[in-house]
Amino acid sequence: MKPLLVAVLCLFSAGTFAAKVTLSPDNWNDPAGKECVSCHTKSSAGIAGQWKGSAHAKAGVNCMDCHKASVDDPDAITHEGQTIATVVSPKDCGRCHTHEEQQQRGSVHAEAVAVIKERMPAMVTNVAGPAIEAAGCAQCHGSTVKLMANGKLDPNTWPNSGIGRINPDGSRGSCSSCHGRHSFSKAQAREPQACVRCHSGPDSPDKEVYEASKHGMAFATNRDQMNLHGETWVAGKDYTAAPTCATCHMGAAGKLPSTHDVGMRNAWNLNTPVSERQHLVVFKDGGKRELPESMKAPKRGSRVSRMDGSLGEVKMVATPQRRRQAMTLVCRECHGKDFADAFMKQFDGVVQLYNEKFGKPAQAIMQELYSQKKLSPTPFDEPIEFTYWELWHDEGARARHGASMASPNHAWWEGMYVVGRNFYSRFLPQLREVAGADADAMIERHLGSLQQHAWIKAPNKSSPLLGVGRPWNTDE
Amino acid sequence: MSRPQYWWLPDFITRHVVIALVLGGLAGIGFMVFLIEFDHYTSSEAFCTSCHSMVLAAEPYRESAHYLPVSGVRASCGDCHVSPGVFAATWDHFLGGKDLFRQIFGADYDDPVVNTLHLPDAAFSAREWFRRNDSHTCRRCHVQDAIVGKRADTRAIHQEDAKGKTCIDCHINLVHRKVPSQATFKREPWNRMVDSEFGLEPGTAAKMLAE
Repeated sequence: MKPLLVAVLCLFSAGTFAAKVTLSPDNWNDPAGKECVSCHTKSSAGIAGQWKGSAHAKAGVNCMDCHKASVDDPDAITHEGQTIATVVSPKDCGRCHTHEEQQQRGSVHAEAVAVIKERMPAMVTNVAGPAIEAAGCAQCHGSTVKLMANGKLDPNTWPNSGIGRINPDGSRGSCSSCHGRHSFSKAQAREPQACVRCHSGPDSPDKEVYEASKHGMAFATNRDQMNLHGETWVAGKDYTAAPTCATCHMGAAGKLPSTHDVGMRNAWNLNTPVSERQHLVVFKDGGKRELPESMKAPKRGSRVSRMDGSLGEVKMVATPQRRRQAMTLVCRECHGKDFADAFMKQFDGVVQLYNEKFGKPAQAIMQELYSQKKLSPTPFDEPIEFTYWELWHDEGARARHGASMASPNHAWWEGMYVVGRNFYSRFLPQLREVAGADADAMIERHLGSLQQHAWIKAPNKSSPLLGVGRPWNTDE
Repeated sequence: MSRPQYWWLPDFITRHVVIALVLGGLAGIGFMVFLIEFDHYTSSEAFCTSCHSMVLAAEPYRESAHYLPVSGVRASCGDCHVSPGVFAATWDHFLGGKDLFRQIFGADYDDPVVNTLHLPDAAFSAREWFRRNDSHTCRRCHVQDAIVGKRADTRAIHQEDAKGKTCIDCHINLVHRKVPSQATFKREPWNRMVDSEFGLEPGTAAKMLAE
């Protein structure tokens, strides 16, 4: 089983650990690029200095190697007599970093715009306004970079380093999202800090979760032993002090190869109203998509629609079990099998608890309110819509993320506790307001059969929890 | 025998010749004054914008740093677009006559749509003119050796990195509506922009241009 798994993972990852660029150096060091440095050292000393200290500079990769463009490119401009483009896309990076580009293609990062396509209009137009799209949503998920007829990049879509940015050349993603320009440091991307710009805050508090976990604690204490600048960075071999975000979600560990498909090792989708384990379908041309476990895994060679609607030929499918096994291989560099499996069991337990007790009934109740026209179809014009949205998108996600990465505080107080509080003290009262006389029947229909909600029907079961009824709280 | 009064003059300097010389000289001076005044007047914003098509070009100019510099040193149309020196200036105005010809007999450049459609070609030829002349009209005011700038290395860039380059190579799109460089200009997006800016049916700009 395990050799097969590793073989499958190798196929995903194409290269092995820390894919080195194997191209001949003839492919870079464009003579035209040598001209740029003198002026840019003066005009933009910051980026010139970052580049000078980079692995690119040491290898002789210069400005033009990344920025050169052909006059037909939609974003080509003439600059100092050269034809260049400001936006460097994964396609450009992929000229040399072939494996990484291929791996990130179709990943949850590269498809980050598609992930919120349905949600964004209501968020942007109803809750906020267009200005927030450029400065908020798109800065993490990515903008669709547009060119103005005067050749300039549309300021509504640029600057942007969103991870799923749709580039003028059609490629998706932004390598500089993690490998900040212009040093493009490996070490920087291995730091948990690389992920914080987006993976923080109420809806995906991964920074907070990680920092509150033992993993984060070990990293903070042993940062100097992390070998962050190492040429290779295999967990258990090049470093053992702590895992970072990159370790578990991307890094090489033991026999497990590294990957730039950041979601590959995730069995669940956690940022959804109800979580479901997901197959990862890999298409023949390297594209990918996820399919819920409840759907039968498509056969190799069959044709399945992609995220953009077009059909693709299936090359392979990684089942949720396979993906979980891959993640567990990382755990195994420090933890025993039973330990890792039991941890996953605790995590899965929280996801299932959220799903069954809150996620599914709340979703069904909302669907019923809409279909019975007790709510207008417009999102966010009724208070219960905010409550429901936050239930899964904020506290619901916090609970699930907290459990997935071992922050007890986020799993419970910041997560499931808030889910429970808001479900019982906001969602249900608001439901009663909206549904009026039908509310009781509706609640009974959706919660009545769930043992976990039975306690609300037992109003006489007292508890000292609220500080009432214990000797030390009575007046002396 | 007494000598004639102007014995030292050659014989061919007759009274008529003297009159002709004086009148000719005065006419010459008058002509030069006329040229100077003519060039001066025809270089002015008031003259240039007496054609409506040029009013359209002047709109962005009036918001630019060349129109409203903190120093108050305003560059007028001719300061940039007419060569220094009376003969060169006259020649430029002579050549500029073809623009007048086109204004009268060519496309309707007074129409903002037509004007915007043709603007890139105008920009390209103006830039080429600057390049050909080593940006000599920029140098009327801007002395490369004297450029210091506000940022630390502006001076060094203009001394060391601008070698072999002329002002217009780097400094385009300062005054008029922004147009990409000729090499990377794409007609289709420009036409689309014209369509959307003037609320035209998609494809109208392309059709107008073909006519």
